[in-house]
Amino acid sequence: MTGRPGNGTMERLFWGVGSALVVIYALIPVAWIVSLSLKRSGDLGDNRFFPQNVTLEHYQVVFSDPQFSAALWNSVGIAGISTLAAVLAGMFAAYAIVRLEFSGRRLILAAALCVAMFPPVSIVGPLFDMWRILGLYDTWAGLILPYMTFTLPLAVWTLSAFFRDIPWDLDKAARVDGATPFKAFVYVIAPLAAPGVFTAAILVFIFTWNDFLFAISLTSTNNARTVPAAIAFFTGGSRFEQPTSSIAAASVVVTVPIIIVVLIFQRRIVAGLTSGAVKG
Amino acid sequence: MSEIELRNVTKRFGGTTAVSNASFTIDDGEFFILVGPSGCGKSTLLNMIVGLEEVSEGEIRVDGRRVNDLDPKDRNMAMVFQSYAIYPHMSVRENIAFPLKLAKLSREEVDRRVGKAAEILELEEYLDRKPRALSGGQRQRVAMGRAIVREPKAFLLDEPLSNLDAKLRVQMRTEIARLQNRLGTTTIYVTHDQTEAMTLGDRIAVLRKGEVLQIGTPRELYEQPHNLFVAGFIGSPAMNFVPARWSGGQLELPFGALEMPTDSANAVQAMEHPLIAGFRPEHLQAIDAQAHTGLHLEARAEVVEWLGADLFVYFDIKLEGFETLTLPEDLEIQTGHASRHTLVARLGPGPAVKEGDTLRLGLEPRDVQVFDAGTGNKITLSTGDE
Ligand SMILES: Nc1ncnc2c1ncn2[C@@H]1O[C@H](COP(=O)(O)OP(=O)(O)O)[C@@H](O)[C@H]1O
Ligand SMILES: [Mg+2]
Repeated sequence: MTGRPGNGTMERLFWGVGSALVVIYALIPVAWIVSLSLKRSGDLGDNRFFPQNVTLEHYQVVFSDPQFSAALWNSVGIAGISTLAAVLAGMFAAYAIVRLEFSGRRLILAAALCVAMFPPVSIVGPLFDMWRILGLYDTWAGLILPYMTFTLPLAVWTLSAFFRDIPWDLDKAARVDGATPFKAFVYVIAPLAAPGVFTAAILVFIFTWNDFLFAISLTSTNNARTVPAAIAFFTGGSRFEQPTSSIAAASVVVTVPIIIVVLIFQRRIVAGLTSGAVKG
Repeated sequence: MSEIELRNVTKRFGGTTAVSNASFTIDDGEFFILVGPSGCGKSTLLNMIVGLEEVSEGEIRVDGRRVNDLDPKDRNMAMVFQSYAIYPHMSVRENIAFPLKLAKLSREEVDRRVGKAAEILELEEYLDRKPRALSGGQRQRVAMGRAIVREPKAFLLDEPLSNLDAKLRVQMRTEIARLQNRLGTTTIYVTHDQTEAMTLGDRIAVLRKGEVLQIGTPRELYEQPHNLFVAGFIGSPAMNFVPARWSGGQLELPFGALEMPTDSANAVQAMEHPLIAGFRPEHLQAIDAQAHTGLHLEARAEVVEWLGADLFVYFDIKLEGFETLTLPEDLEIQTGHASRHTLVARLGPGPAVKEGDTLRLGLEPRDVQVFDAGTGNKITLSTGDE
């Protein structure tokens, strides 16, 4: 692993301040939303960054709203299934692309890139019509299918980059050492492929979890409406209030699972696990 | 320990034939070398023996039993890869114990055997380290350790030393030889380095473009090569080659003619073709003009390499009246170009020779080998020749 270049004080200061700036820049909007979610409704326009009086009433409102809990369940289910399916299919594709000799390997990668660059908004209209005819409108499958389409290229690219770096001699070595193909995979290849799989899974999960376009266009009820779409339909605690605080509270709630997932897996994503397998 | 027999083994990858019709037997306990230029099919042959590649045609037998369709895990052979292929996520101990774990040995037995292997290979201090914290030489030992713990039927090593630096390579070479002596396990060792082949092997098979050209002890290959390729491949510096022709019962070389005794009509007939004559650098010796019976030539030393015990003198000859020599490209022998043709003599360390000095060198007829320039086959001059 490459460390920070040099160790002079100036250099450290430079990197320290630089990192701090980036982190602050990225986190200010998040902090703002957290702050909004904790303010009392009356204080919303007080032009202060920190809430004067902290209240959890908006969280109560969010969780007591049956629409929100339904949306949360939909989000977890749809994002989870899409991620699982996309990563699984992506693994097979990436394995084939890296390991097998067949013509058109490059074509598949290029085609996948094309799909990834295709603007989703251009297919939402036709999908809407098709899904209504096929009965997929406002169902989980109706969202999972387009999510898989748009995340598979991401999964295939990420995974094939990782798979390419696996020293495949290790597979042969394990076979000679007395392992069945299955055991060789479990004991040797899977542990080395894990960081790549987790990376791909996180990227796919974030994409599906945050998607707004398909969610708002292809759902209409609590059957399949996910959180980003549900938030748009928020009405707030009473009809006389702006729902700003409730939206903020809901946003905080949906961000937490992502943070948890990333924290769980980040240790696994540490690259360089494979260093030292071959001469190096 | 076991005997490994190959019968007409052929391997094809699509249109290309990587190994063609290899037949030989490796004896129990033998240290057998497969040597040849890169891409000649050595690894493919090894992979077929261990079961990682399927055999296209022919049979492989281990102790008389056909193993063509046996899975690698059931062949009980151990392999050391050129890349070492040690498992990066396991400690040295886990790496060495891995085959034993798969064989479901008891904990005590695993510990005992890992301890013993680590002791032999001097890896005891490193057992709990991860491979990335090891040097190249240590990784190489871990790969060896994983091979020897199993007490396998055979060791197969695929260019195990080629990733080490020169000094370590020589050191590990002796260590591998000692280890094999001590364990007495049948060993097949693949290398493209003829020095490794000569120093390690009981017997050597020279491969070229998928074909086994000759099998023999290092001495046989050095002294009685069957063809031009083996003659040029074995030995360092390589054998000297010059164009030659048969004329009036004499072998004419660019720098003189030799009386070659032939008593076979076959040989005489074969000598009608364009020829290549070969002789080893040590067969050119500094001489007094009077005392010598064979051919002599005047040589002006172009480059002198003094290595303590040896003195190599490179000099040019003219190819007047002879075609320029074309040697097989995969021999990678540089003989100069156009009219300049470089030869090398290996002289004793005795008299000091400087670049630019003129030497008188002698060559005995019995030290000259004759090859057919077209086929590369050696021409046996007399029935008593071999
Ligand atoms: N999996 C493969 N697919 C196609 N050709 C191969 C494969 N493995 C080896 N070859 C070819 O077979 C020949 C011998 O290769 P190899 O046994 O690796 O040579 P060596 O080990 O002597 O350098 C080469 O020409 C190589 O290109
Ligand atoms: Mg090879």
